[in-house]
Amino acid sequence: MIVVAIVKSSESHPLYKKLAAIVGEDRVNDNQVIISAYTKDASHLTAEKPGIVVMPETVEEVQAIVNLCSETKSPLVPAGGRNGICGACLPRVTQAVLLDMVKMDRIINIDEDVMTVTVEAGQRWAELIHRLDEKGYKLGFRGPYGGNAGTVGGSVSINSIGYAASKYGSSPDGVVSLEVVLANGEVIQTGTGWNKTAKLFARYSSFNDITGVFLGDAGTLGVKTKVTLKIYLRAEFITHADMGFKTLEEATAAFLEVQKRGFTEELILLADRQSTDTFFPGFLDSHKEIHAMFSAIVQETDEQLAARKIEIVREIALEHGGKDLGNFAAQMHWNELFNLVQPLFNNGFWLNTCHLRPITSLPEIMHKLWAIFDKHKMLENGIKWIASCLGADRAYMTGWITIFPPSKDKMELGLKIWNEMLDAIMETGGCPYWNGLLWENRSLEKVDKNFMDTYWTIKKALDPDNIFSPHVFEGVK
Amino acid sequence: MLFPNLTKYDEDLWLCARCGDCSLADKTVASNRDVYHPCAVKNVLGFEAYAARGRVMIMNDLISGELEVDENVINWAYTCTTCKNCQETCTATAEGIRIPDMVEALRKDLVTNDFVVEKHGVIEDSIINKFNPYKEPHNRRMDLFGERDWPEKASVIYFVGCTSAYREKEIARTTVQLLDQIGADFTVLSDERCCGSVLLRVGRTKSFGNHTTHNIEAIKRTGANTIVTACAGCFRTWKVDVVSEGDDYDFEVLHITEYLDRLIRDGEVVFKAPKSMKVTYHDPCHLGRHAEVYEAPRRVIEAISNVELVEMETNKRYAHCCGSGGGVKSTHGELADKIAADRIKEAEDTGAKVLVTACPFCHRGLEDGSKYSRSNLPVIDVPEFLLPFVQGKDTITKNVENPLKMKFIEYLSAHPKIFEGLKKGAVIDYDIEGDRFHVLVTGKSEIEVPPIRAENPDVELTFSPKAVEKLVALDSVVDYAKQFGALFKEPTDDEWIKFNLRLNIVKLLMKGYRKFAQRAGLI
Repeated sequence: MIVVAIVKSSESHPLYKKLAAIVGEDRVNDNQVIISAYTKDASHLTAEKPGIVVMPETVEEVQAIVNLCSETKSPLVPAGGRNGICGACLPRVTQAVLLDMVKMDRIINIDEDVMTVTVEAGQRWAELIHRLDEKGYKLGFRGPYGGNAGTVGGSVSINSIGYAASKYGSSPDGVVSLEVVLANGEVIQTGTGWNKTAKLFARYSSFNDITGVFLGDAGTLGVKTKVTLKIYLRAEFITHADMGFKTLEEATAAFLEVQKRGFTEELILLADRQSTDTFFPGFLDSHKEIHAMFSAIVQETDEQLAARKIEIVREIALEHGGKDLGNFAAQMHWNELFNLVQPLFNNGFWLNTCHLRPITSLPEIMHKLWAIFDKHKMLENGIKWIASCLGADRAYMTGWITIFPPSKDKMELGLKIWNEMLDAIMETGGCPYWNGLLWENRSLEKVDKNFMDTYWTIKKALDPDNIFSPHVFEGVK
Repeated sequence: MLFPNLTKYDEDLWLCARCGDCSLADKTVASNRDVYHPCAVKNVLGFEAYAARGRVMIMNDLISGELEVDENVINWAYTCTTCKNCQETCTATAEGIRIPDMVEALRKDLVTNDFVVEKHGVIEDSIINKFNPYKEPHNRRMDLFGERDWPEKASVIYFVGCTSAYREKEIARTTVQLLDQIGADFTVLSDERCCGSVLLRVGRTKSFGNHTTHNIEAIKRTGANTIVTACAGCFRTWKVDVVSEGDDYDFEVLHITEYLDRLIRDGEVVFKAPKSMKVTYHDPCHLGRHAEVYEAPRRVIEAISNVELVEMETNKRYAHCCGSGGGVKSTHGELADKIAADRIKEAEDTGAKVLVTACPFCHRGLEDGSKYSRSNLPVIDVPEFLLPFVQGKDTITKNVENPLKMKFIEYLSAHPKIFEGLKKGAVIDYDIEGDRFHVLVTGKSEIEVPPIRAENPDVELTFSPKAVEKLVALDSVVDYAKQFGALFKEPTDDEWIKFNLRLNIVKLLMKGYRKFAQRAGLI
């Protein structure tokens, strides 16, 4: 039941016919109408247009496409849900073959014995959560905040971070094994997958951690076709707490203490009143003395455990001068999984500064950013902001400080402010978790030469003809 | 080329951040909505260009001149069924990014610049000259009813619509038989003309107003105060488009399911199937997302004794489209069939023995989809489905409502100040163990509390019976709010409140829910 493509391929890309022979005419297209829909992700950043879009459905098709690109030395860029906010999935060169991976979205195996799930790389977090929940399981890291469309393969390729990172770390932390198509067309299985007769149950086994080579590679070292993730028993008992503080310093100190305990599935801090008001308008109206707050979510398989842990969170907060604000914001935050960010666009277009930093460094960067906001009279100019920070792993956090130019005519000012913010973040020890077009130049200014030389040595060894996502990590012109 | 109509949506086109929910959203998340890959067109054709975020990128490239209009752009522009599932899924603005309106604006611009689909010109000519899109003789429009003297005056007009009059005649015939059996005081317009829906959908809007004016005048002459139609397309046109195009009328417009729902609730008619039967229901986009009628058809189906209604994976606001709307069926027939086949598969997956719908165009599309996928699932329109089950009036079952529900309704009705701060039009749905009613805010401290589930609530509240008992015992609004907040924040096994936000937070705030939440101690 093939429906003939309505927008016909122009057949001008040199690989069109051969790609069509691999996947069929209905899953490859180089018409500019089709291409136009692949020229942006969910940020304002732009790069080169893809030359042709292909939608593989099997690893064998991916292998054939990679072989074709290798033979012809053609650039190949894999892309997931393309809703990242750093431009990572956009080609840096013209005429690239863009792999739209979303058709590879099957769940291959839920292995209840070793508590892993293996999915094709184009599987989306939201659907995976949903399917696991039906079976009585949950993921550790649940997916980036854009997990409705964000894919597992895409996220682990750019070190994405988001839901439940407070307990389980970022997206790569949940990975046990990867299936990757290499530039020579061969397929490698990492983790315990080196042993063809073994299950995929552990990441570190017998040899060095090749999984880690491909995590966060931005698609430069191979095409991920399957990802095996850790799973956990679904925990039905959820408790919540919202705690307010008179100063960011108090909030940060309490936040660090809570995060160190590792109790919370999600621990999210809003650094000032403006941030809370942008997220939950009116929430602090009856708490005039409160300037910063955090919301904590505990999820456990035991009711008493969940209750006690949130009690401890409250106790820690109160010891640091905190005030109990109830739990409405925490409930909303957790219940609106993957649906929290989009309504923020009512405030304007999102200019983000997503990065990682030690929890203790938050007040320092916020004081710098508040000075920038004041200097540019942000609120008078109608530009709102949100400074939200998610506890991650043991004692670091994300810095999600985002501004919202409300209309096109405010974008120029917004971009000026945004660039100053990015500089301040790097100056205060912030480390982007992804690069993309957003951070790459600033990261390259800071990066140690030996570090990058090591990466390039690996790149050259694995992809000698530089077909995978060429010019990524070289800097943005 | 200039795009004067499309550029009216300049801010939407700039603001859309391409988050991809319109293309790939899944049902788990987002307040338990039943969204699943909302774009039925993209689900068939695969490429992002066919989903809303891709369309936004392409529209921006057209406006900037990065892309030039050619045959492919025209073909692409008419692949959207304008079903509105993307907009309903979108939470980026209070209304959602308005893709159906933008697609229709683009089509208008294409037509203005002579980038046309030939078939659509034929349809427009037929509507202008023969008052129907099917090139059928106008004077034979009512032939399907045989020899019958239609009264010149009646309180109800059955507006037949072109598809029922010329293509899906059984729907028209059974509607009339149903109205006869119920004993309705109704007639049809001897000179009924096309409602003009298809003209709006394909961007050929010039003559729309003429048809509307003609029909309004004809209706006025009958003295009718109610228009009933079994066509979801006609219903949406009358209810939404005619008004937004600037025309006015003083009669009520009801879909046949709304009309029957009222009669059933008033005990005017009862339906009973001879043996038990499991059915599922397809929401027509024109009736559901565009006109917000979701519950009336369900109540009608559920009112039939021995009939069990089971829902498809996507339903109500997030129901997948049948593929026929927005000019897609006339432009890209095979695409429409494939989309319909996907919907048939969803219906089959429920285990239902019948797929019921409430629109002749959906009926036709789904039947074609059924043939395309070689399915044996019967597709039946509401009037045709109901007709064999008419039992006459209800003389026995009256007022068997849950007493706790009635007590809660009584309590809320007597305490409208609970809802102070909410704007007119705010709707909250209440659920006590499956028994539903809703509160509609009609003004400052004024509410109505209909004892039925809301069509399109802002918020759904679910209460344990003990929570309700506790609340209705409270005298003051302040105590009620305090208790309400406590039941939400500190629930016990027996006493709890849960809520489901059906609108995004920004839209809720615009409707005044901030004060409501503050008074309830939630924030």
